[in-house]
Amino acid sequence: MLAIQILIDGFAISTLYALGALGFTLIFGVSGVLNLAHGGLMVIAAMIAWYLDTSLGFGPYVGALAGVAVCLVAALVTYGGIVRPIENSRAVPAHERELFVLTATLLWGVMIQESLSYAFTNSPITVQPLIAGTVSILGVRTPINEIFIAAVAWAVMGALWLLVNRTQVGRRLLAASINPRALTLLGFELDRIYLFVWVIYGLLAGIAGVLLGSFLGSGSDYVPGLTGSAFTIVVLGGLGSVSGTLIAAYIVGYIETVTAYLVSPSLREVPALILLVVVIYMRPQGLLGRR
Amino acid sequence: MSTIPKSRLAALAVFLIVLALFPLGANGYILGVLTTAFYFAVFAMSWDLLFGYAGEVNFGPTFLIGLGAYGAGMSNALLGLPVPLAIVVGALAAVAGGVALAIPALRLSGPYLGLITLVSVLLLQQAIVIFAGVTGGEIGLSVPDVLSISSAANYEYALAFMLVSGLILFLISRSSLGMILQAAGQDQVAAAALGFNATRHKILAFAVSALFSGLAGAFLVFYLGTASVSAVVDISIGVRVIIAAVLGGRRTIIGGAIGSVFLIVAGELLRPIGQLSTFVVALIALVVIVLFPDGLLGLLPHRRGA
Amino acid sequence: MSRKKTAFAAAFAGAAMAVVPVAAQAAKPIVVGITSEIGTIPGKAIANGATLAAEQINAAGGIDGRPIKLVIEDDHLSTTDAIRSFQRMVRQDHAVAIIGTFVSEVALALEPWAARLHEPYMITGAAANELSEYVHKDFKAHQYIFHAYMPAAYLARAVCDASKATLVDQFHMKTAVVMSEDAAWTKPLDAGYDSCLPKIGLKVLDNIRFAPNTSDFTPIYQKIETLKPNVIIAGWAHVGVQPTVQWAQQKVPVALAGINAQAGSDVFWKATNGATEGVITGSTAAPGVAITPKTLPFTDAYVKKFGYSPAYSAYSTYDAVYALADALKRAKSTKPLPIVHALEQTNMVGTQGQIAFQGAKSKFAHALKYGPDYVTGVALQWQAGQQKCIWPLKLANAKAKFPGFVPVPKS
Repeated sequence: MLAIQILIDGFAISTLYALGALGFTLIFGVSGVLNLAHGGLMVIAAMIAWYLDTSLGFGPYVGALAGVAVCLVAALVTYGGIVRPIENSRAVPAHERELFVLTATLLWGVMIQESLSYAFTNSPITVQPLIAGTVSILGVRTPINEIFIAAVAWAVMGALWLLVNRTQVGRRLLAASINPRALTLLGFELDRIYLFVWVIYGLLAGIAGVLLGSFLGSGSDYVPGLTGSAFTIVVLGGLGSVSGTLIAAYIVGYIETVTAYLVSPSLREVPALILLVVVIYMRPQGLLGRR
Repeated sequence: MSTIPKSRLAALAVFLIVLALFPLGANGYILGVLTTAFYFAVFAMSWDLLFGYAGEVNFGPTFLIGLGAYGAGMSNALLGLPVPLAIVVGALAAVAGGVALAIPALRLSGPYLGLITLVSVLLLQQAIVIFAGVTGGEIGLSVPDVLSISSAANYEYALAFMLVSGLILFLISRSSLGMILQAAGQDQVAAAALGFNATRHKILAFAVSALFSGLAGAFLVFYLGTASVSAVVDISIGVRVIIAAVLGGRRTIIGGAIGSVFLIVAGELLRPIGQLSTFVVALIALVVIVLFPDGLLGLLPHRRGA
Repeated sequence: MSRKKTAFAAAFAGAAMAVVPVAAQAAKPIVVGITSEIGTIPGKAIANGATLAAEQINAAGGIDGRPIKLVIEDDHLSTTDAIRSFQRMVRQDHAVAIIGTFVSEVALALEPWAARLHEPYMITGAAANELSEYVHKDFKAHQYIFHAYMPAAYLARAVCDASKATLVDQFHMKTAVVMSEDAAWTKPLDAGYDSCLPKIGLKVLDNIRFAPNTSDFTPIYQKIETLKPNVIIAGWAHVGVQPTVQWAQQKVPVALAGINAQAGSDVFWKATNGATEGVITGSTAAPGVAITPKTLPFTDAYVKKFGYSPAYSAYSTYDAVYALADALKRAKSTKPLPIVHALEQTNMVGTQGQIAFQGAKSKFAHALKYGPDYVTGVALQWQAGQQKCIWPLKLANAKAKFPGFVPVPKS
């Protein structure tokens, strides 16, 4: 009974972690950018979805769509207004670009968090689930929303896999992540590829943000935590490795759930953090990293 | 590089005298703001030694600051050590933490080290909450003793501490240690080929950075009369330290001080807009970082190429 | 300080920082500082409650002709910011007293400064027992501090009194699990629960404490369900939405009562998408319930001015500002000690009940007096989108009832 419960609960959480971190790792893989405003983008999606649905009464579907759309816009602003200017800046030496992008996106995340707190206060909210009710799985009462979330997340990840592996543009994306210089020589606009990957990222972060908001809630105070957990999962899995991110998401999700059930909910995050330190120390490139 | 024109030395001396005489004219509130800013300045300068010179991406300055602060606060509150001794204990705790961080730093770099340092902060935070019995947990630790309740005295302590720390850090950065760190930060193999023991220097850099971070954290505790996660450990404090250092101008040491004073004074000036002040400060910092990557010091014309 | 000196300082520290107040008219305002967390619902309520009280007092002629001027500062939930702001209000604005914060951690950091600077300080929302125990510990040095709200021990007593009258007497509930967030204010609360729940006939099967940043409550509810209690007695303030939503979404077959502070706010229905249906919480007041003749006029004026209903900390802050104004009038002075002594004599009708402070001998020195003759708070329950008062019985406007998934024991 308890085992089944852990299995189901851990699966839903892990799947959300995976979806949330996937865009994050994709951006890094293709353009070498770690976007520390990640959590901010996810919370924007959830807050907009909640506001349109619950406060303005447009219904959960309109809310969810608008949330994803606004998140996409915010992601493009992040790219066009912050990341690109720094990458193109001559005043920033190449070896320090990473730190500048990190610092700048971190600041951008703070700005997003503060604006959300100003507009909606920092009190947490929950996005209304698209499907209500519970269902019994092997004797465990499970909200249908949890199953729905896992299904949507896997559908989105499946679509992403098809896009990368079965389409022209996807293969270019893959090529860009392996060797950007060669791709430019082949005459492809690297800029266009980057823009494309940021669009995908915006959509992924938006969908993950809305789903997460309906499962675990959301609010401006969630911003740093969401960024942190995506960062953790992505580094654990190996920066830029999509399959590594998926595996790491499930490892972290299940370790947290097992700890919460069997040890104490207060210690939920500790074992995963210790595991992370050990893994990075023994194997700095992460579980499936390339470098 | 280490020769500074006489005229600038004189200007610096006048500036320092004015700073020291400040309490004669300014009211307690302004002194209070600057006192906090000065301790922050030491945080940022210590961070700059690690990043600017050694090239180590340390996302966890508050791990070192927090060890210093809680080490000092707990030895005063629980063991009843007098303030000076408690500050020494705090500094030692921070140095131990710094050396512990240096070990992974020998193998890792970039975002990996960044994450380790970030995790170290989270683990320290968890430890403080879990051992709430001795650390005060979420509630914070109240220390019985404070440095002084006079704002002028607190100001002078902070100013003197900042100047001495700044001077030492500056001299270190301009010494052979700074050069070696910089060389090793950019190309470890080349530095090793030249016969430098990068490992030893790196550990030393972490220890020095930790020493001053810890001292500043300890002083801050005895200024505020309390140590709490939100004041000395929280990631957001670390973010502010990094922003201050980059904003002021990295790889300059004094840039960290300028950035800190700017951030804190700007925060106070923006107080009338209340809740939005953090937003505006972040915006200013973002604009400076994107448009003027060399920070506020880089805006000074005569520093080009220095 | 002379104006010349101020100008000297301002030249270095930024001109805008030291604005010289040259308002030397006959009716010099009396400055009162408010420290709060404006980004949060209870924090905003502190600022609102104080603003409303000050406006009303000024409209009625102020304090012997002198208007109250509020300085409201956001401490961003940070002890450093709060201490700096506290010092600023004392030294720069010359505030005669400072009121605020609903966060025990922040209040505890401010208390030593109130003592050191001899500044009257009224805490209006934070609940840790330590706040007034601190006053008792060294009364002479700490007498400047007033805990103008109930210590957690009293909150626990109110929950037990309310649970006895409703859950036990009306619904024959016999077992409970205490489930509190791990924070300063819930330690004494849990201690209070553990000692008083058995006395009213609710056996405590377990006491679960969870981290305030917990996001998934499924494991906790699962564990509780296996114990089969009748009711969960909560101690929540930092959390609220998430555990409430998961309780409803997962149809946890256990009633939810105790203190769920956020459920006391009328926006909670929207924040939880209605998941709060059937939730019982201890609170300061309930809509439409006249605890005293001042309660409803206050609520109406508040809703009219701000467009939403007051959170608990608005009541305590509003009462505190009135108590302070009353003390200032009686003290005929703005010096700290006369204000403190006048505040100690407070005995007035507030919005929460009869407002009076305990003496130095009490364990909770300078905290509000508790009891049917003073302040007890109410228990309210969300029913069909409305907050209904179910306790004290003489004020109740509804009888408790529970959602379909919560079984009620047959006597």
